[in-house]
Amino acid sequence: MFSEEGGFLTTTVDSVVNWARSNSLMPMPMGLACCAIEMMGFAGPKYDVARFGSEAMRFSPRQADLMIVAGWCSHKMAHTVRRIWDQMAEPKWCIAQGACASTGGMHRVYGVVQGIDNFVPVDVYIPGCPPRPEAIIHALMDIQEKIRVTESVGKDVRFTAAPNQLVDGRMLNAAGQPV
Amino acid sequence: MSETPPDPIPATSVVAQPISDALVGGPDDAPFRDPAEQTQTLNFHFSPRTALAGEMERLQNENPHAKASWVVPKVIAALKEKFGDTIGEVVGYAGETTVFVDRAAIAEVCLFLRDEVGFDYLADIGTIDLFTEDDRFEVFYTLCSLEATKRIPLKVRAAAADPTVPTVTKVYPGANGHEREAWDMMGIRFDGHPDLRRIYMPEDFAYHPARKEFPTLGIPGSLPLPANHPDGELQSDPFPRAHGQIPKDLASDAG
Repeated sequence: MFSEEGGFLTTTVDSVVNWARSNSLMPMPMGLACCAIEMMGFAGPKYDVARFGSEAMRFSPRQADLMIVAGWCSHKMAHTVRRIWDQMAEPKWCIAQGACASTGGMHRVYGVVQGIDNFVPVDVYIPGCPPRPEAIIHALMDIQEKIRVTESVGKDVRFTAAPNQLVDGRMLNAAGQPV
Repeated sequence: MSETPPDPIPATSVVAQPISDALVGGPDDAPFRDPAEQTQTLNFHFSPRTALAGEMERLQNENPHAKASWVVPKVIAALKEKFGDTIGEVVGYAGETTVFVDRAAIAEVCLFLRDEVGFDYLADIGTIDLFTEDDRFEVFYTLCSLEATKRIPLKVRAAAADPTVPTVTKVYPGANGHEREAWDMMGIRFDGHPDLRRIYMPEDFAYHPARKEFPTLGIPGSLPLPANHPDGELQSDPFPRAHGQIPKDLASDAG
C-alpha cells in the first residue's frame, strides 16, 4: 500500500484529489487594469468558464485557490497583491494575464513592476494586450493539466528514507524545502 | 537673406560615429544626432507669441481648432484693471490667451474670477518643468464658467529654489486633489493646503517623478517590492537587473 514506487495513496487517491481540485478551481480575480474586462468575458456566459468548473470567482483570498493577476501592477499595489497571495490557502496557483502582468509590457516606467514574477510565483503567463478570453481558458486548462500531473496527497505521506515532515505548519522535505 | 540653405545631406555620415555607441544604448535612449548637423524641416503650425492688436482674430481665423470659448478679452482687461502689476504678460497661442499671474496673488485672482466674473469651476491644475535656471516651474490653472461657457488659463511661475505656490483650495475645494498630485509628481509645495500628502507614490518615496531629472526607469532601490516568501524581507527593486539592463551610474559625470 505504501511504497516509494507509488501505492494506493500516491496513485488512486492522488488522481481523485487532483480530479476534484482541477475541476473546481476558484479564481481570485485580481483585476488591476483593462485585462480584467477580458477576465469578466472569460467568466461570462459566452465563454462560460463554468464548463471548466471555475465560474465561482471568490473575492476573499481565503476561499480562492487561483489568483489571476489581470493588468499592470504598480509598486504600491505589489504589496497588496503579495499580501492577498499570502492569505490564500495552499494549494494555490497563479496566472499572470497579459503582457503587463507578465513583463511590465508597454509600461516601461518607474512605477510599474516589470513582471509580477518579481514578487509572486507565477504558474502560467498569458501573452496578449489584452489576451482574449480563449487565451485565459487555455491558461486555466494549463493549470488543470499541471494539477493533474503533480502529486497532491502522495507527497505528504510518501514513506522514504528521508520522509517529508510537518514543520511549523508547512510540509518540508529532508532538505528543508517546502514540498 | 542671401544665406544658402543648409545642405540636406550632412557632410559626416552616420557611419562616422563609433559603432559602440550604436550598440550600447537601450531602447529608452534618445537617438544620437549632432546638433550641428541638424536639418530641421518640421515646424509647429503655431508658435508662441505675444498677443498683439488683431492677433487673436488672426489666429482664430487661421486656426480651425480655435474655439470662441477661450476668447475672454474683457475678463483680461478687468483683471489688469483690478490687479495691475500682479498680472504679468498675456500670451496668445493657437487661439488661447494665457494670463501669467504673480504667484503670491493667485488665490485672490481666483477669488475675483469666481465671485465677480463667474468662473465657478476649476477644471484642472497642472505643472510644467521648464528645466531652466530661473523660474523653473510653471503651474497652470484652467478655470471654467459653466454659465457663460468660457475658459481662462492662468499660469504661475515658481523658482527651483523655492517651489511654493499659495493654495487655491479655499476658493475651489476641488483643487485639493490636483494640488496633492502636483506636490507628489512635481514637488510644488502649496502654502495653506489642508492635507498636502502624496497621492500616487508611496508616502516614503523620496523623489518627484515628473521632474525632468528623474529617470524614466526610476532610481534603483527607491521602491521596494514585497518579499518572495511570506517571512522574507522587503527586496529592493530588482527589475533593472532582471531585464538585463543595469542603469547607468547616476553619480558619475560619465553617466
